Amino acid sequence: MDFAYILEALPDLMTGLKTTLIVSFLAIFLSCLIGLVGAVLRKSGIKPLQYAVTAYVEFIRGTPYLVQIFFIFYGLPSLGLRFSIFWSGVIALTAWASAFQIENFRAGLAAVGSGMHDASASLGLKRWQHSIFIILPLATRAALPSAMNTIVATVKNSAYLQAIGLVELTFVAVDRIAYDFRAIEMFASICVIYLICVFTISGLGYMVERRLSRPFGGR
Amino acid sequence: MLLLEFQSFLLDGLLNTLFLSSVMIAGGTFFAVIFAAGLSAQSGWLRGPVYALVECLRDIPLMVTVLMVYFVLPHAGLSLNPFWSSALSVSVWGGANGAHIIRAGLLSVPSGQREAALSSGLRGWKGLFLVIVPQAMPVILPPYVSLVTSLTQASSLGAVLGVNELLRSAQILIEQTTIARGGSPAYLVYGSILVVYFALCWSISALGAKLERHFAKPYQRTNGKTGLARPTVVLQISTT
Repeated sequence: MDFAYILEALPDLMTGLKTTLIVSFLAIFLSCLIGLVGAVLRKSGIKPLQYAVTAYVEFIRGTPYLVQIFFIFYGLPSLGLRFSIFWSGVIALTAWASAFQIENFRAGLAAVGSGMHDASASLGLKRWQHSIFIILPLATRAALPSAMNTIVATVKNSAYLQAIGLVELTFVAVDRIAYDFRAIEMFASICVIYLICVFTISGLGYMVERRLSRPFGGR
Repeated sequence: MLLLEFQSFLLDGLLNTLFLSSVMIAGGTFFAVIFAAGLSAQSGWLRGPVYALVECLRDIPLMVTVLMVYFVLPHAGLSLNPFWSSALSVSVWGGANGAHIIRAGLLSVPSGQREAALSSGLRGWKGLFLVIVPQAMPVILPPYVSLVTSLTQASSLGAVLGVNELLRSAQILIEQTTIARGGSPAYLVYGSILVVYFALCWSISALGAKLERHFAKPYQRTNGKTGLARPTVVLQISTT
């Protein structure tokens, strides 16, 4: 293991890491939003919408992520939708993560007991107040562990985007290997970087979970 | 119709995908059993390293693992061709994920069952396979089936290394037709491949659901009250 070489490659790797983190962050943000909306739509009682969301989730989960990326990057332009590598990556990652987040939030919504509805009705809360102040916090809390899993998986799956040439962490490493043949050094460093990212995010998630799992009230 | 024209070419790719994913599923199961045994080993000297390895494999992106095995193993004097390299890396990854599924399944069986097996004279392997494993199956199977579909999907990673499976065939077909005829048929080819993969994964899930029903049968709940197996279960199995 040549540490001098790793030190020399570090600036390059950090630029790659920056792209990885930006793409992942955008995808995480968008997918959580879509996940929440999708989960609500799935419970909305409007049949065509429910079927559409279910079909979307099933299709994304039943097909390889890599093929989805290729379809979005190479396939959509011939249908008139042309995106840059970066935005193709964000779209592909978001599309993938959304399917899982919809499932997570759906399970979260299902975990909220129906007694809550009667309780807030008896307190005179309006429908929107009930949804925003009662159901949303409870459902988010219930969905958090699995949503954190998906968030971590989103960061990890950003590595797939090197296949369409997005210059993120894995791409930088493979690119340097093509020039310098230092495979061991490069893979050791990106593995460590990915592990640090994953541990940081799951650590943060664990902290939020612990804070939220305190019982309500009793201030 | 482009797809019909190159039917046999794409079919070859599909066959390779099927073969590659079968290898990955078999290899993944093999590693899962080994890792699960390591995770539940008595000695901490064995459990610690296996735990660390499994955690690393689960936390490092699969794409990185696949590339790493392909690029780093030759440095260790083991040159694998793309097919076996991707098969090995995805199998090890599947093993790491499967190990936790198997371990959780085995732990879900109440310890009384093990004691009952021992008292009926079923020791070691016999007790494990005749008493514990059948009862763990309903817990193991659902996540394991979804792992198997993940492994099937992961076989498309072979295309990154250049294995001639379905995705790679599609890439070649698109490149060739774009050069020869102009105008990329990418959306058509990738779109149809998505459908093929979906059908594949859907059939696997359907098969898995059938298997789940099979294992759920002898352990039907009494009056739907408890999820615990009846005590007669041990007898039923040891007599047949």
